[in-house]
Amino acid sequence: MRAMNMKKAISKTQLLLATVVALTLLLTPAAFAAAPGITGPTFNLTARPAYISQPDGSAVYSWGYGCSVAPSGFAPALTGATCPNMQVPGPTLIVTEGQTVVVNLTNNLPNPAGNTSILFPGFQVTATGGVNGLLTREAGRATTNNVVHYTFVASTPGTHAYYSGTQGDLQVEMGLYGAIIVLPASTPAVCDSGVHASNLTAQGHWGETDFRLAHAAYNHPGACYDREYLFQYSEMDPRIHRQAEEQSTRTCTNCMNVATEPYLPAYFMINGRSMPDLMDPNYAQEYPHQPYNGNPHMHPGELTLLRIIGTGRWQHPFHEHGNHVRVLARDGNLILSANDPSSLAGPLLFTTTTTPGVTMDGIYYWTGKGLNWDPYGHNAASGSTLPCTPDANGYNTGAPNAINYFEWCQDHNKPLQTHPFGDVAGGGPATLPDPNIFANGPWFGGSPYLGPDATVRAVGNTGTTPPSGTVANPPDSEAGFAFMWHSHNEREITTNNIFPGGMLMMMLVDSREFVIDESN
Amino acid sequence: MRKMSPLYLSLVLVVVTTVAASGQSFQVQCPTATITHPFHAAAGVACSQNPTAPGCNNNEPAYTAATTLTAGANGYLVPTANVNGAIKCQQISGGDGFATMGDGSQTYLFAFGPLSGLADMSNGLPGTQFPNVFNDVAPPLVPGDPATTDGASQAPYSLGDPSVFTYNGAVGLASDLDAIASGACTPDALGRCLDGHVDTRQIMDVGVLNGNMPAPLMAIDEDDEFFLTLTNVGQVMRPDLFEQHTVHFHGYPNASAFYDGVPDASVAINIGGSFTYYYLAPDAGTYFWHCHITPPEHLQMGMVGQLYVRPRQNRVPGGTSLYAALQTQQADLRTKCDSSDILCSNPLPAVNTGATGGAKYAYNDGDGTTRYDVEYPIQIHGFDPNFHFVGMTFNPEGFTEMKDKYFLLNGRSYPDTVHNGPLATQTTDGVMHYSQPMSAIINIPAGGRALLRIADLDVTEYQTLASLGIPMQVIALNAKLLRDQAGNNLYYNTNSITLAGGESLDVILDASDTTKYPSGSVFYLYTPNLDHLSNDAENFGGLMTEVRIN
Repeated sequence: MRAMNMKKAISKTQLLLATVVALTLLLTPAAFAAAPGITGPTFNLTARPAYISQPDGSAVYSWGYGCSVAPSGFAPALTGATCPNMQVPGPTLIVTEGQTVVVNLTNNLPNPAGNTSILFPGFQVTATGGVNGLLTREAGRATTNNVVHYTFVASTPGTHAYYSGTQGDLQVEMGLYGAIIVLPASTPAVCDSGVHASNLTAQGHWGETDFRLAHAAYNHPGACYDREYLFQYSEMDPRIHRQAEEQSTRTCTNCMNVATEPYLPAYFMINGRSMPDLMDPNYAQEYPHQPYNGNPHMHPGELTLLRIIGTGRWQHPFHEHGNHVRVLARDGNLILSANDPSSLAGPLLFTTTTTPGVTMDGIYYWTGKGLNWDPYGHNAASGSTLPCTPDANGYNTGAPNAINYFEWCQDHNKPLQTHPFGDVAGGGPATLPDPNIFANGPWFGGSPYLGPDATVRAVGNTGTTPPSGTVANPPDSEAGFAFMWHSHNEREITTNNIFPGGMLMMMLVDSREFVIDESN
Repeated sequence: MRKMSPLYLSLVLVVVTTVAASGQSFQVQCPTATITHPFHAAAGVACSQNPTAPGCNNNEPAYTAATTLTAGANGYLVPTANVNGAIKCQQISGGDGFATMGDGSQTYLFAFGPLSGLADMSNGLPGTQFPNVFNDVAPPLVPGDPATTDGASQAPYSLGDPSVFTYNGAVGLASDLDAIASGACTPDALGRCLDGHVDTRQIMDVGVLNGNMPAPLMAIDEDDEFFLTLTNVGQVMRPDLFEQHTVHFHGYPNASAFYDGVPDASVAINIGGSFTYYYLAPDAGTYFWHCHITPPEHLQMGMVGQLYVRPRQNRVPGGTSLYAALQTQQADLRTKCDSSDILCSNPLPAVNTGATGGAKYAYNDGDGTTRYDVEYPIQIHGFDPNFHFVGMTFNPEGFTEMKDKYFLLNGRSYPDTVHNGPLATQTTDGVMHYSQPMSAIINIPAGGRALLRIADLDVTEYQTLASLGIPMQVIALNAKLLRDQAGNNLYYNTNSITLAGGESLDVILDASDTTKYPSGSVFYLYTPNLDHLSNDAENFGGLMTEVRIN
């Protein structure tokens, strides 16, 4: 990847950015994601100003929800979990279906900003305290009315959004939004048997911890999952934030006059961060007000739940490389067949549009089925071949402790390359070019093959692709298949005119010998 | 990382030598037989003498049964009977070029151009070829071909005759005399050794400044193996750049990172080199492809193309039950795509309609509901003239203020969309090039059904396309049939569809009611985003074309 636009004007910035990418990745080799948040069912939140950090070096004045006191707990249990008093997005509220949720919100915005509030679309909310507002009761400015209490029953499982219901064009833009995850009260037994059980066995064999919030997104056999990630899409127009910052020190109350049109966003964020900051760990100290990351990893065959929320005011076409996504639900409503509720009916998409205020739950996985070559580079002649015993669907799921657990067996041992390289057999269809005429990307695993075992065998001393410069996905330790997950309105993968940036993250499919550690 | 032997680390460090390169940087690949597609002609038929005989991988055999596989001598499965599909090859250039906009202005492109199937592409067809067509030696070619040989002389409506130029093979392919001399290659019946060796002069003559908008059309069939060679000829107008290019096959399920075309996650081909992408055709559907280098720039500048996969069901013999044929597919683990797999949308239909094969279908529907008579790939895109102008200079381009002013269907704005035949543009080399080969006219035979394979590659905003007249029946989204896991079709009728950049869908325009849609009538596809009905400063044009009932 060569950052090449704004070519002369920002070349130094780019160099710096590239260095930051490389350094960050070197320093934090294992920084993954899960779907972290705080537990309740009572949440004491505050709305406050603070500066959030963007990878072009700017600190953008923003407003966000945070914890006014320490939360009752964190889920999943991650290293260094905190709930600062202001964060973007706001704390992810994790509750269980049927619980009565209480959110006490204190208004600590600057006086000129006026009142603030929270909407919980999809729930029947009772609001007390504070002052009257248009859409709900609001936390006012006086010490007597600056706390508002929202109570609702978490009636429907799934991923939900919450955001300010007061002057939304300004307050949501400034960062007042977040997610609620409602876990189903019960999950189907099938989610703990079959491949889900053997996936868990495989995780245990390699020393991985289960960081799921639940074993199913809904109480439905089609909603089982093995891993999960939450992505909240938003954008910022820095001119709006600058105006709000300038007016925040005025002495009057509820007197901000910020032009929110014309709208020209320059920052495009997932979970409040832009690439490459996005892929740093959760709760990283560099981003005290942006605790959540976007750095998805998974092993072949694991059903991965994507919890996706659109915030801000634009739609963003979120393109998942590598496979399709089955949409399970929108706004917490499972999409089922009209005449057979045991069957899913949501669409299969490779681009899942995020729409402001709308949430989506979807299932993604990757197996390598249909490549027509063995991604593990097995070589029957050299004895480096592990057995592949197909299950009823053709996958090697009977060997959860093996590197090639979940291999698609019909392509087992089938060569890709015409000529043998290292310990990878020839006889396949494709000839790779001379490595002198191509450039390696930082997430290139070093060979066409998946995992360090295969890659090291393929690029032995007769190999064809010296894996130089692959700092983010080292051939000898990870060598995953990296897939870009990004906005396909491609100008949104920039940060204030700099490419790369914005709504862009790399998803890594890792072979089993690489330990996915989601502890931070 | 656990359980990693120190030996592995040392092996990686030892990588200092590479095997000898295969002789040259430009090359093409199009094997005539592979593990998956061995020669399987009837006894006594020699494919070298009779390349289009059944079993020579140069035509699509009927689909009657799943491929029979057996363990081969090398430890992997090999086919023994019912070899389905064939081999397909295509070569494209990565470079630059110019296109003509609806207001007559010329616009600079970063672009892919055709280096195979040149004659087909100038007729608006895919440039994808069987090996016996691809592996051929071109007649003498000149810069601008095929437009130059055709006699194109006037932009944008060429006065040339696109039927004059007929070569569809790979540009540059030449007999490998060294391989013949060394005995490494046995000459064919014409004394040639076509092993991928190319004459680079021919590639540069034809490939430089031959960018197309949209990028070359690709079409393959399920069960095909597809060898796609990208040859990077450089960007003559931007000598300051050393742009690599890649191909991202957008939507390919269970992709490998290696062939996914993301330069960050794989390799990217430098100027002066060729890279052959290898794919087994994925499930049928409307996909698309594009360069993945600096996407906000390379996509805006025009490196976006269309790609679709035809279903196995097209090859089911006439009279055979489509339902039974889909049952056959579901019985084969590789082609099975039912509710046992959460990422499949092709269960058996809830109702067996008794439909039989012999027609063309968009998907393996099993009930004939995606049948069509004519198909049209339609690409929606937008160009920002300021960005394209700055892109031709050595100045920095901004992204946040990107604003499209040309709105394109197959690289053209109205009224060019309703011009038959290729549009030509004179580029800075002084010769005419077929810059926009695909018309956007939808011609439907009276009483027929048209399949629109619509993809949006816009990089800035959502686009809406509406039908004035014939309702749009949406049958698939993002290359997946709209069907629930219980087998109920979820098709819906609408008069407009809205897509983001990076999305595709399939629409059927059903004109079977000849009372409503009589021969000779004309309907319109247009955008109700009314500001998109313009060509920069011209306030009438943009995203609009005609549907003509013939």
